Amino acid sequence: MNKLLLFLILLPKALWKGMGADVGHLKAILKVKLMLDDRRPIAMGRQQTKKKKPVRFMTALSVFLSMLIGFMYTFPLHLDDRFMGLWLYFSVFLVMLSVMLITDFSTVLFDTRDKTILLPRPVNERTLLLSRLLHMFIYLFRIVLPMSLAGWITFGLLEGWKAALWFPFAIILLTIIALFLVNGAYLLVLRFSKPGKFKDIINYFQIAFSILFFACVYLLPRAVSEEGFQQLQHSAYPWAVYTPTYWLAASWSWIEPDLIWSSTKWISILAVAGPLLLMWLTVCYLSPSFAKRIGSIDVVDETPAAPVQKVKGSRSAEGTFYLKLANLLTRNPLAKAGFSIAWLQTDRSRNFKMRVYPTFAYVPVYFFYITTQSRKPLAQIWADMPETSIYVLLLYMTSFVVLQLLSMLVYSEQYKASWIYYSSPVARPGMVMEGAFKGIWVKYFVPMFLLVSCFVLYVWGFSKLLDIALAFVNITLFGLCIMRVAHRRLPFSAMEQMNEKGNRVLKTIFIMVVPMGLGFGHYWTTVTPWLWWMKIVFMILSSILLWMLWDSYKNTSWDEVKKVDLQ
Amino acid sequence: MQPLLSIQNVSKQYGEKTVLNNVNLDIYPGQVIGYIGPNGAGKSTTVKILTGVIQDYTGTVLVNGRDIKEDILGLKQMIGYVPELADLYDLLTPNEYLHFVGALYNIPDNLVTERATRILQSFGLLDNMNQRMDSFSKGMRQKVLLTAGILHNPSIVILDEPMSGLDANAVIVVKELIQVLKQEGKTIFYCSHMMDVVEKVSDKIVLINKGSIIANDTIEALRDGSSHSLETIFAQMTSTENLNETAGNIAQAMRSNN
Repeated sequence: MNKLLLFLILLPKALWKGMGADVGHLKAILKVKLMLDDRRPIAMGRQQTKKKKPVRFMTALSVFLSMLIGFMYTFPLHLDDRFMGLWLYFSVFLVMLSVMLITDFSTVLFDTRDKTILLPRPVNERTLLLSRLLHMFIYLFRIVLPMSLAGWITFGLLEGWKAALWFPFAIILLTIIALFLVNGAYLLVLRFSKPGKFKDIINYFQIAFSILFFACVYLLPRAVSEEGFQQLQHSAYPWAVYTPTYWLAASWSWIEPDLIWSSTKWISILAVAGPLLLMWLTVCYLSPSFAKRIGSIDVVDETPAAPVQKVKGSRSAEGTFYLKLANLLTRNPLAKAGFSIAWLQTDRSRNFKMRVYPTFAYVPVYFFYITTQSRKPLAQIWADMPETSIYVLLLYMTSFVVLQLLSMLVYSEQYKASWIYYSSPVARPGMVMEGAFKGIWVKYFVPMFLLVSCFVLYVWGFSKLLDIALAFVNITLFGLCIMRVAHRRLPFSAMEQMNEKGNRVLKTIFIMVVPMGLGFGHYWTTVTPWLWWMKIVFMILSSILLWMLWDSYKNTSWDEVKKVDLQ
Repeated sequence: MQPLLSIQNVSKQYGEKTVLNNVNLDIYPGQVIGYIGPNGAGKSTTVKILTGVIQDYTGTVLVNGRDIKEDILGLKQMIGYVPELADLYDLLTPNEYLHFVGALYNIPDNLVTERATRILQSFGLLDNMNQRMDSFSKGMRQKVLLTAGILHNPSIVILDEPMSGLDANAVIVVKELIQVLKQEGKTIFYCSHMMDVVEKVSDKIVLINKGSIIANDTIEALRDGSSHSLETIFAQMTSTENLNETAGNIAQAMRSNN
């Protein structure tokens, strides 16, 4: 794929030469850039496509995922009101493309290594500029073409060859709008935050994107099948006329003048004028000011003594909230150290946020997905909800978060920093592990579980308090099982790839079976009213098990940790 | 006088490879030992044994006449360790990291705050005490690691390339610190490739090569009446090839056209 792209892009050699570029240098730079793109995980697949995937498939995978995303939102094109369909399609396309570019483009734009690697070499400025532009072009091409392919084919089939010819033109205009939005978003972020914070904010965009992607996969088909969707009319949304995607949709009137209303015809002029104006704004105002600010990001990256981020809590470490909690919940200094490191690391690690935060959204999305499987109207589902026992499922769904949360407590990019545990007088690593477990539990699981419990109490009433308590004990038991069986290590002390080792099939099965067993047991006592007393028996048994496991976990010895290290 | 640290017939193997071969070494209180050797000679392994990180070796290591395997925690409490190329949890601030390390050594919070503040102030790092270390330079990180290594007032300080990345002023501070600690009766185990510094600060120089100690004496004794620098002595004792010739070969390779 890369070879083909490189070959095609270097075909007009004379043109590049004429523009003052050194074709040999251009080829070398682009070849390396494309290779780097291949080895960089892509935004939407970050969780699934870690290092183990063969490198050469990354581009193909990215193209495939873009095609899949493109296919997902071709639904609106089938609407009875084709104009409404086009507007919706372009709108979703614009949002997805912009968010995708914001999340992934930053790695292309902010490759600060250019400064140290390329600038000292005898490469002329024209070559550098051209290599950057062509790289961006290839990057966009690789996303936009596959993403629009399904829409292109669908629209062509629905409306004929003329429509198929017009479609890519509209997509090009849409890409220009997206570029403007991306540049604007970056500038806005840079204006209102310190350059050093920029990467953190991009990280939040990535998190938002993965949630959006996940929610779309599960919820779009449901929304599309909702009654009335097929009959949506653009006339019902008069405000739509102010959106650029409406202007683009209106440009269809050039091909099919009879199908479009006279009142919207003049708007189609904006379809071309708008993007041109935005392109002018991007080139003349946004990009130069943007380039200047990118420079300041490099400065922060490369000059460490420059003003860096101050951390809340200022001078003394005492008095901060997490320390108060640590003092309250831990009894020895080692457990306190574990509590603090878990709290602080998870607060600041981008990787942790990227992996864990989206899982919080899985709970409501899955719950919505499951409850709406009946295809009844939403109001009906909501009214019937108190009669169901689905709250048990909702409570146990929080174990998705637990699973992700706990594995991230042990694995870290900074695992090498764990040498400190080995050289300091830590009698039992279990004491540090105990503190870390408490820290992460209190910080993430307890607030989320409280929120879910409030929802359960609101919908199902206070009679479910015992269920909430039982679920809490069971999920904590499940969490401890995970830590005791699969992750019996010191916090942030293991390399991430180890997470993927396939030698723990039995353990994984065990881990999956435990919450399912506990959940089904709980559910069974709920749907069989005369078995209500079993809940109390369960509660006692789970509490005993929890206590035994906790005792074993917090007494983990060095030998036991080393045994896990050797596995 | 009883040695503070005594390494007796210590050997260590990784699979088939012998990394330490019957090492014997006595270190007395208030001594500065310069521990030098080529890459892969066994320096890091010795340090890891002394810090209690590696425990599966043969032979005996005694601290105050007691086998460290009997009281590994007691040994760790006595030792301050500043490792080479050390990673730290750099998403934390120096303040947070030092409190974390302090807790591992069981030092009360207020004492950590006081000591950390004073040491960091001396290193000129007080203003950065509440800034995240992910944007720190190598030298700044090294100062935090040095602080973490001496925070619990250890009686043995093991320094593995402690000057790495430090600016000239900080190097002077550390060299002075070594002397002050020595006067206080603390034992310093100093590993480095910077021969001029080792030569200046050490009472005794221990040279290890291919897992065995090949020299253990004062710099004067090693010179044996000559005016050679430690660098020259080191090269004579550890290199089998002519180093000038090697440099010539590299320069020749640069000039070749085919």
